[in-house]
Amino acid sequence: MTDVTTRAEQRLSSRDGAIGRRDRRKEDDRLLQGAGRYVGDVGPSRVLEMAVGRCPFPHARIKSIDVRPALEVPGVFQVLTGDEVRARSGPIGLLRPDFDAPPLPSYGLADGKATYEGQGVVSVVATTRHIAEDAVQLVDIDYEVLPHVTDLELALDADAPVIHPEVMSSNLLSIKEFGRGDVEARLREAHASVEARYVINRVSALPMEPRAVLAEWQPGARELTVHASTQVPHLVRRQLADVLGLPESLVRVVARDVGGGFGLKLGVYPEDVLVSLHAISLRRPVRFLEDRNEHFRASTHARQAAHDYRMGVDASGRILAMEDVYTNDLGAANSAFGSSQQSTIVFSGPYRVTDGRVERRVAVTNKTPAGAYRGFGQPEVNFACERTVDRVARRLGMDPVDFRLRNMLRPDELPWTNPVGSYYDSGDYPSSLRMASSAVDYDGHKSRPRRQPDGRYRGIGFSAYVERTGVGAPKADEESGALFGAHESVTLRANWAGGLDLYSGVSSFGQGSETVFAQMCSQLTGVPYEDVVVHAGDTNAAPTNTGGFASRTVIAAAGAIERGAQEFTDRVRRLGSNALRTDADAVELVDGAVRVIDEPDRSISLRSIFRMAILGERLPPGESPGLEVTSYFSPSHAAYAFGTAAAVVNVDAETGEFEVERIVMVHDSGVAINPMLVEGQVVGGIVQALGAAVGEELVYDEETGQLLNGTMMDYFAPLAPDIPRIQVISTEVPSPVTPLGVRGAGESGTIPVAAALANAICNALDEFAVELDRLPITPEQVWRAVQAARAL
Amino acid sequence: MTQIWPSPGGALPAAPDEPRAPVSLEVNGLRVAGEVPVRLSAADFLRHDLGLTGTHVGCEQGVCGMCTVIVDGKAIKSCLMLAVQLDGRSVRTVESLAGGESLSPLQAAFKEEHALQCGYCTPAFLMTATALETCPRRLSREEIREEIAGVMCRCTGYEGIVAAVERRLRERGVGVDD
Repeated sequence: MTDVTTRAEQRLSSRDGAIGRRDRRKEDDRLLQGAGRYVGDVGPSRVLEMAVGRCPFPHARIKSIDVRPALEVPGVFQVLTGDEVRARSGPIGLLRPDFDAPPLPSYGLADGKATYEGQGVVSVVATTRHIAEDAVQLVDIDYEVLPHVTDLELALDADAPVIHPEVMSSNLLSIKEFGRGDVEARLREAHASVEARYVINRVSALPMEPRAVLAEWQPGARELTVHASTQVPHLVRRQLADVLGLPESLVRVVARDVGGGFGLKLGVYPEDVLVSLHAISLRRPVRFLEDRNEHFRASTHARQAAHDYRMGVDASGRILAMEDVYTNDLGAANSAFGSSQQSTIVFSGPYRVTDGRVERRVAVTNKTPAGAYRGFGQPEVNFACERTVDRVARRLGMDPVDFRLRNMLRPDELPWTNPVGSYYDSGDYPSSLRMASSAVDYDGHKSRPRRQPDGRYRGIGFSAYVERTGVGAPKADEESGALFGAHESVTLRANWAGGLDLYSGVSSFGQGSETVFAQMCSQLTGVPYEDVVVHAGDTNAAPTNTGGFASRTVIAAAGAIERGAQEFTDRVRRLGSNALRTDADAVELVDGAVRVIDEPDRSISLRSIFRMAILGERLPPGESPGLEVTSYFSPSHAAYAFGTAAAVVNVDAETGEFEVERIVMVHDSGVAINPMLVEGQVVGGIVQALGAAVGEELVYDEETGQLLNGTMMDYFAPLAPDIPRIQVISTEVPSPVTPLGVRGAGESGTIPVAAALANAICNALDEFAVELDRLPITPEQVWRAVQAARAL
Repeated sequence: MTQIWPSPGGALPAAPDEPRAPVSLEVNGLRVAGEVPVRLSAADFLRHDLGLTGTHVGCEQGVCGMCTVIVDGKAIKSCLMLAVQLDGRSVRTVESLAGGESLSPLQAAFKEEHALQCGYCTPAFLMTATALETCPRRLSREEIREEIAGVMCRCTGYEGIVAAVERRLRERGVGVDD
């Protein structure tokens, strides 16, 4: 029941070419036939299966391991322990280190000590997964259980057990401040201020395909081919070569089809190292297919944080200062991307605030490492900021929409740099809020009683956001701290049949990049869409790139395709005009041919030109044979997407139960290459956010340090009947800082939903003055908030 | 024709002392017969022994629904069935839908409605919807959502999937009550 209004579509439908069309996806035909090639479907002969024995305790010293009973099982080939892994491979490096943080130990298996439940302690390779798992059960491991701490607040107490005493004196890993102006002075001057703590739940990205990796070693050639379910094949290649001590030239990473990523499949995981070590020493292909119970414990968690947010306003309702002091819960070790640093970047939302400060802290606890998840810090800080905005409006007795409009940056104030240096390029924030307000008839709602005939209370809440999409290249004099660049790249290669092969390191994990790359390439080269074939995710074929995350792919790839297409078509014109015996500027490229502008009957087909180039025949003097271009592009800036979500709820004040009646999201992703795919991304993000807002939470028992709900039976991600009516409204303000005016679209949906829902419930229960400050929002939490408010 | 497994490139032999049992069944219109380890799940049997890798595995405990196939006309989760329980039954998997390179009307509806992104859950939704095509009565939109609640999707938010199933049921005359 999605209603979609797309202004972009109307505007772009008049434009010639593939950009802006709702082309059906190139990926679909194979996936619909069950012919996708996920890692589990890639089957070289003689492949062996790996299972991992995992520590059942949150914190334990490994006193001894006896692997002999496992080795006696028929069908078992090899067992590795931490010592052996340590001797054969180096530490797993980070791609995105936290500021000033000491390196935490991270190897393929626990090195003498395990620091979270689920950490790998032993790996077994056998002919089948059944046998490998049987054998894992027979490995005799003697643990000395150590004191643990899984609660974020307790972990920072002075008497908490220090998890990494060899490199840290407390569990505080990193602390960094950002900001501008004098927040304390502004807050002292403030007419009113609000301070609150917001607690964000720990969740799983939960892709439907768990992690999967298959390594094949070719002796003699010393070449390691790794099929990985990853969003970043080139980064995995580099990291893996580094950990294994192999020349990077000898590592090939292939990610054909990836069954969902959402940030969870970024960089090297311990099992990637293990299958490689086994494959190299056994000289047999070895595969690891993570099962779902392992997934909950060994794949990165996300989001958990505590935000202490402060905001001060003057008597007219103008925001004077904002401050966010937040602590991310990293878990026990680093993942490739680490904790969510992005909360800092958009902490001030779409508001005009000159004095602002952020303090970002990262703590370690005895839990599964946290990593990236769609939105990566931005949904978390949006909840803190937008809940505080509603609180301040209530304190002032102002309508929350009016309060937002008073403080939102207007289009003529952009570009604008927020207090932590984020450069908001362009946009129309107030319009998006007004559109959302009008779509849910907020004015009508205000004029009616909250209490409905059925006794429930109806509420409408809003959340406005700006979102950093893409990554700008570091300036000449700065380092980003990340160990990857901002660039994307493509190779465009003409073939004998008249088609164009496009090679990219961006793997296909659902985002539709094969389709949108082909659309951009077709429009910019003149080669028909059907004749452009995208070859994705093979490091042996694709030029080095960065990968699919941070809503960055289309922004960076658009630049690479634009540059490549320019060079490609320049050459095509030179070759074509030479064959037509005229000048390059006297010809045009239309309908798969080069033709003389003044004499449309004189033309030569692209296929003929491609063949001439491949044969090296009839070339103009100085022109080299072949027709192939590789181009790179780094965007100068990130583009800031923006929008507003509105939620409509009905709440039972007696039980705390609530029904989400409707979610409206007005969003702007700049120029849409394929509006159908943009809408698909936004809706998918909204539903993931809905799950995290009202149902999903990874719960640890502080006493035992165990994950209590690490199975699909106990972790409640949304199913089809759980989805309310969703309406997506797209606006289109082209970004002035990106190629083609695009902004990223992959993460927007995840950002404003939780705050809009919480604000809607608080709006419904206005008469009780209820405030919600933790996720997920459950009926119990709502009921307790009502009881607390009544007690006042 | 009777296909004997393991097919080329199929699974490696299990442990020599592992208990096995004979099974004989029909898969996508073909007779297959052979022996399987008694603890082998139907999903693993289809994927590894018969090479039908379009059926995916996501949780192995009957929640996520990635492994949904049709057994004797009903959509079932093949991770919760043992291969030996398929004896004497008729199984349909996603590989049976398309004719050569041309998509079936149901698959075409999924493509048209952008009902898939990463594609991992897609075969399961297709088989669930295939079983629905023979539903003897009209379904409401809410009922369609309930009918497909056995399969999880993390990409699409279900909107495209519901639209595609509705489109196909209308075409089939099973229809949808608005």
